[in-house]
Amino acid sequence: MSVFPPGVALQVLPPQAGERPPPCVAAAPITAQYALAPDHYLLRLRDARIARGAPGQFVMIKPTRAGELHPQLPRPMAVYRYLPASDEFEIVYRVMGVGTRVMSERVAGEIAEVVGPVGQPFRLREDLRGLLVIGRGIGTCSLTAAAERAAARGTQVYAVVSARRPEFLIGLDLFGPLGAEVCAVHDADGSSAPAHVAEFVAPLVQAGRVQQILVCGSHRLIDLAVRLAAPHDVEVQVSLEAHMACGLGYCHGCSHGAVGESEEAPLVCRDGPVFRCRRAARGHDGQGELP
Amino acid sequence: MSERSVASQEVVPQAPSPYSDPRLAVDLGRGLRLQNPVMPASGCFGPEMGALVDLNQLGALVTKTIFYHPRAGNPSPRLAETPAGMLNSVGIPSRGIDYFLAHILPAYTRYRVPTIVSIGGLSIQEYWDLAARLDGVPGVAALEVNISCPNLEAGGLEIGANPRHVAAVVEGVVQRFDGPVIAKLTPNVTRIADIARAAEEAGATAISAVNTLVAMAIDVRSRRPRTGTPTAGISGPAIKPIALRMVWEVARTVRVPVIGMGGISNAEDALEFILAGATAIAIGTANFPRPTAMHETIRGLRDFLDAEGIGHIRELVGALRYEPFGAVGTLDAAREPDGDGQPRTPPRAPR
Repeated sequence: MSVFPPGVALQVLPPQAGERPPPCVAAAPITAQYALAPDHYLLRLRDARIARGAPGQFVMIKPTRAGELHPQLPRPMAVYRYLPASDEFEIVYRVMGVGTRVMSERVAGEIAEVVGPVGQPFRLREDLRGLLVIGRGIGTCSLTAAAERAAARGTQVYAVVSARRPEFLIGLDLFGPLGAEVCAVHDADGSSAPAHVAEFVAPLVQAGRVQQILVCGSHRLIDLAVRLAAPHDVEVQVSLEAHMACGLGYCHGCSHGAVGESEEAPLVCRDGPVFRCRRAARGHDGQGELP
Repeated sequence: MSERSVASQEVVPQAPSPYSDPRLAVDLGRGLRLQNPVMPASGCFGPEMGALVDLNQLGALVTKTIFYHPRAGNPSPRLAETPAGMLNSVGIPSRGIDYFLAHILPAYTRYRVPTIVSIGGLSIQEYWDLAARLDGVPGVAALEVNISCPNLEAGGLEIGANPRHVAAVVEGVVQRFDGPVIAKLTPNVTRIADIARAAEEAGATAISAVNTLVAMAIDVRSRRPRTGTPTAGISGPAIKPIALRMVWEVARTVRVPVIGMGGISNAEDALEFILAGATAIAIGTANFPRPTAMHETIRGLRDFLDAEGIGHIRELVGALRYEPFGAVGTLDAAREPDGDGQPRTPPRAPR
């Protein structure tokens, strides 16, 4: 994980009793895989247990076929959509290297080895009237299931969807049917500049139309959300990415290091990937903090 | 289920569990008996895996290395992938012995299989202090002494690279801990057999080999190491041939049982290590992509015994067939004096 924005402190969310199923190891049939855009794919898998995970949780997918040795490690992937009615769930990912390239070549009917659902889910308030999700690039995939869940409970959803190019905007087809108010921005026309995004976000926060903001995929946008939310008692939760090996908390590969000589920073897989974000005290080094 | 199928289940004798098949039971010395020879490698396992697979079916459980005092571990990134391998620079974060005894050990000892506690130290004394604290603690079946840690009293060189330091660590641990003591060797040495011999002579009741090899990966665009520390330990199938060679060298040097590890992913890999002389084996990196790898390996070993008509796995331990220097026989036989006191074959270093 790269250095966290200065001025933002991470907080581990308290354990939540609950709704979410325990992780399992699954040989999940691939039921569909197709390209959404150049190098962007949607992968649909079937497993009844994982299909009942919670928004914000993720799965560890071994990208290769059985017996293939390289690449070794499974890939952590956010669940884009849960489809419990058909025991399926969907992943949207971008080809970044050899692992995701191999994964993109797999086809319906093959079996994928998956561990999930793992990690802390987003915590949506019971009395949530308005939810703002802010996603950048492939990071938007972590937010779609939460937006769906909130909308199903009658929450008004607002979405900032940002990408490098317009064809890489994720989830526009999904947010529309939810009745979400969407602000789609990209780098090609400069609309993704934080100052421009702030013109959409600030009025929502100031008018009290949203009580929670979920962010993923951009440190600049995390910084923006925290700055705008702080004066208005609006809670910001983020979903972080990290290289991982186990996904369960025992390998300690996904911690971003130390918060002191004898204290390790939180693990993205077990303590996250969802964290609460707050404005750091003055002079904070931005390396995160434990509760 | 129909009545008929219930009835038929009653008359059909249940197939014995592969995990407790008596043909797979192994003895690692000093009372450390395992129902089968497969265990996780330290650091690549935690009781969290109990949510995914039945840990009571393994030969043993092995903890992540613990230190006496809390440690934070290394900066990120802590992982990098290379062909058929993985580099880690995790740096062994530890909550310290007090937290371990109160909160971590109980998550292991709730299982029926032996728990082996891996201990580390930045000084020889730290190993000894841990051994003393763990002596007599219920549920601690054995200690595995991770001697791949840097010795801060000796300029940060690995304790495991110096036979005298290894002997000092192991001897002190054996004096303070009344139970099996396994020395886990580093491969980052010139002659691993010398280290193994030093550990055995100091009282180690078994040898684990090998830990990760020191390695490196660089991002050419940023010109930075791909891990948070410039060098990191490599594990996975990429190191298997090296680990296998070292296990063979260790096993033909010491009399105590050897636990082989280093890139083992399946039963065939495990059998290679057993033929090279390992009594038991550990699986590490393969647990990440396939948490069922240890269980599949145990079943595969049982299937191999069936297919080959072998009565017990111990018949395969060190049963490597080879012809040194073009002559039939074992290397030891080749070195034996032949009547006139001369070796039968010229004494040359094996290649």
